Amino acid sequence: MGALQYFFYLSVAVLLLGLLYKAIKIARMPIHLRWDLYPIPHEKGKGHYGGSYFEELDWWTKPLKVSLVSEVKEMSKEILLIQSLFHHNRFLWLSSFPFHFGLYLLVGFLFFLLLGAILNLSGIVIGVSSESAVGVAVHYLTLLSGLAGAALGTLGAIGLILSRVFKGELRRFSVKADFFNLALLLAVFATLLISLVTVDRDGAIHRALAGNLITLKPTGEMPSPIPLELFLAGFFFLYLPFTHMTHFIGKYFTYHKVRWEDHPNLKGSKIEKAVTEYLGYKLSWAAPHIKAGSTWAEAATDTSPVTGEEKKK
Amino acid sequence: MSSKKVKVTDMSNNKGQLTELNPADFLPLPPPYDKLELEPKMKPLTPDQKQRYECDLDGIAAVMIPRPKSDEEKKILVDKFLSGLTKLFNKEDNWTFIQALLLTMEYCAKCQTCSTACPIFEESGGKEIYRPSYRADIMRRLYKKYIKPGGKVFTKLTGDDIDVNWEMIARLAELTYRCTLCRRCAQTCPIGADNGLVTHELRKIFSQEMGIAVKQLHEVGSVQHIQKGSSTGMTPLAFKDNVEFMEDEVKERTGMDFKWPIDKVGADVLLLHNAGEFLAWPENPEAFAIILEAAGISYTLSSDLLGYDGVNYGLWYDDVQLARVALKHIETAKKLGVRKIVLGECGHSHKALTVIADRILTGDYNIPRESSLTLLADIVKSGRLKLDKSRNEDIYVTLHDPCNVVRLMGIVKPQREILRAIAPKFREMTPHGVENYCCGGGSGFAIMPNTNFPDWRHSVAGRKKLRQVLDVFQDVIGPEHKKYVCAPCSNCKGQIRELFSAYGVFERCNILYGGLVELIVNAMTDIEKPFLEWDWH
Repeated sequence: MGALQYFFYLSVAVLLLGLLYKAIKIARMPIHLRWDLYPIPHEKGKGHYGGSYFEELDWWTKPLKVSLVSEVKEMSKEILLIQSLFHHNRFLWLSSFPFHFGLYLLVGFLFFLLLGAILNLSGIVIGVSSESAVGVAVHYLTLLSGLAGAALGTLGAIGLILSRVFKGELRRFSVKADFFNLALLLAVFATLLISLVTVDRDGAIHRALAGNLITLKPTGEMPSPIPLELFLAGFFFLYLPFTHMTHFIGKYFTYHKVRWEDHPNLKGSKIEKAVTEYLGYKLSWAAPHIKAGSTWAEAATDTSPVTGEEKKK
Repeated sequence: MSSKKVKVTDMSNNKGQLTELNPADFLPLPPPYDKLELEPKMKPLTPDQKQRYECDLDGIAAVMIPRPKSDEEKKILVDKFLSGLTKLFNKEDNWTFIQALLLTMEYCAKCQTCSTACPIFEESGGKEIYRPSYRADIMRRLYKKYIKPGGKVFTKLTGDDIDVNWEMIARLAELTYRCTLCRRCAQTCPIGADNGLVTHELRKIFSQEMGIAVKQLHEVGSVQHIQKGSSTGMTPLAFKDNVEFMEDEVKERTGMDFKWPIDKVGADVLLLHNAGEFLAWPENPEAFAIILEAAGISYTLSSDLLGYDGVNYGLWYDDVQLARVALKHIETAKKLGVRKIVLGECGHSHKALTVIADRILTGDYNIPRESSLTLLADIVKSGRLKLDKSRNEDIYVTLHDPCNVVRLMGIVKPQREILRAIAPKFREMTPHGVENYCCGGGSGFAIMPNTNFPDWRHSVAGRKKLRQVLDVFQDVIGPEHKKYVCAPCSNCKGQIRELFSAYGVFERCNILYGGLVELIVNAMTDIEKPFLEWDWH
């Protein structure tokens, strides 16, 4: 195996561990105070107009009505179509949608490559002339997702870069890292697109590469620009966990654990148990009205330093 | 410097005022305010004020931070700010919001979608410093530089660096009081980042670490609330006197002669008003008393310290103060043994006690809290009141949705069900419901009278609401038509009162503002005279 192949394995490992670390780190943070933002789609029968269980008289005496279907529907529209951008920032959506949809298609491309490689290993030929319908289907799906994903991604990345260069409100807030991130993704999309329309028009080389990678066999010689493509993809995987581009993880938490998190704190609940622990945390805030070293429970109930006079002395 | 091209890094410069405000730049209002001469004047600060207070953001001194007298004093303040910043990302000091804050710090894509939703940015004519992302980008750069490992090196490489000096921090302190925390920006964010939360958390650094807060929110706000019983300064004795006065007034206006229940142990409901109502709009608690009496609701008011004032200013700037006030409210309810607390027409007290404080109310402190809008809708729908909607027939009514009750709590329908039952000429503003616009007085603005801040509040923060009101009544805008903005929130009413006064809206357009309960009582057939006193507003 060559250095490039080792580098790629390292990148994938860093990517997976990095994403896992980020998700765990966020998930293990203390439960915050409620910070609901309506509409909340899982409010059954009310989500469509932004209503909540607070509209019910004696709401705590009634079972909470939750519609997971509505929540999944809303989340799907947001993830697949980026609907908030469509509604509130159509100009950027024109680039952002193809960019993100291209990425989703490339995730599909990876899936079909791996599936094709596994089917190949089990003796099923992948290609137009395959005797297996599955082999033919995987061939077309691989090519379709790869070509469409790379093309849309390329267009989207170019659009986003141009937007950041020429639109003042974006340019003023863009830093070197923003341009680097987009340029890197453009390079990944473009090299894949070039390789699929030049040296690997049936996707067989990519499939063989995927097979070699998962079976830990040397990748061998690959026609240009596929080695560059592998390097760029590896570099992207290595770099991704350290950037805000992992917002696909963050978005789960911002939606499900912040703006749509409307669980009331009921007596004897897990929330109550966790908060009871947090109330024992010690405060080190230095303003005069807070007694440093006191716990949250003490600070909230002891209002003697409320004016700060005591501390100033 | 053209204010439209101000960059985030300009916050640290020492070139004086960063942005000039000129009413000619603001978005034009609909008729009859489509002439610049009808625009209220924005008073510049006096030379003395400029010399004394930090005002280099936009020439407004809302917080009234004294200018440091020496470089040494500046350095101490900068160090304190950075110390507070660190605590914001420490789970012991900030378990209350660290998760939500960290998500917002990490994942913003700087797409500027939030700016399209911000009424302050839009109505100011696009002043760069008022972008929700402008404030958040400063905070994000600080986070990347001072909180993330290796931040001082990496921010230079990525371009996220920012110079931290007193000039920047002083401007930032003012900038945290140019956002009403309405969170409309967060609603549009594709990633779910929350620039309103950034404002909230920055205010906490200033208050909880540096002891810097707007006097009306802290010293004569939450501190006075805890010490004297009300942020208005009203003592328990004064509260009882006020109730007696209101009982007499109800008798005089309606002929109904009854005692208001105070400190009634074992009542079903503790009704918690914003004490500002007793002083500024006594007709509101009077209307509540009339409705609850007529509907036969078992309720009580409290004369305990804090028990007669449901406000909680800590919500806007300080978690510790928020917790202190919330616990006192609950203790009042515990003492009276009520089944539930019902919040009067005050948006932020709704959110503070029902939603935000929910998770600090453990064990027997977890007494149910409910909106009065829900209870009122139930009363109206149940037929317990004799109502005749034709008594409101000559009034064009629109509804202002308080952000805290609607976008931030999801109470949308009850107030509309009531209005449809009592106001034949009810019409909705655009947009409304959870997409509503803030009155411009949110997050404490309505009670902040410092220097020239009220001018800014009228002309910039409240401009969108004024536009909405004028738009919704445009076909009947002349003074011959009676019009009413129903604002079921004390804070919003305070802002609308000042806004209407600054623009002469009542005189020019005959638009009155008030609460929801007043309109309900106005429709009650048991009461002979109209409850709404149109000429005495």
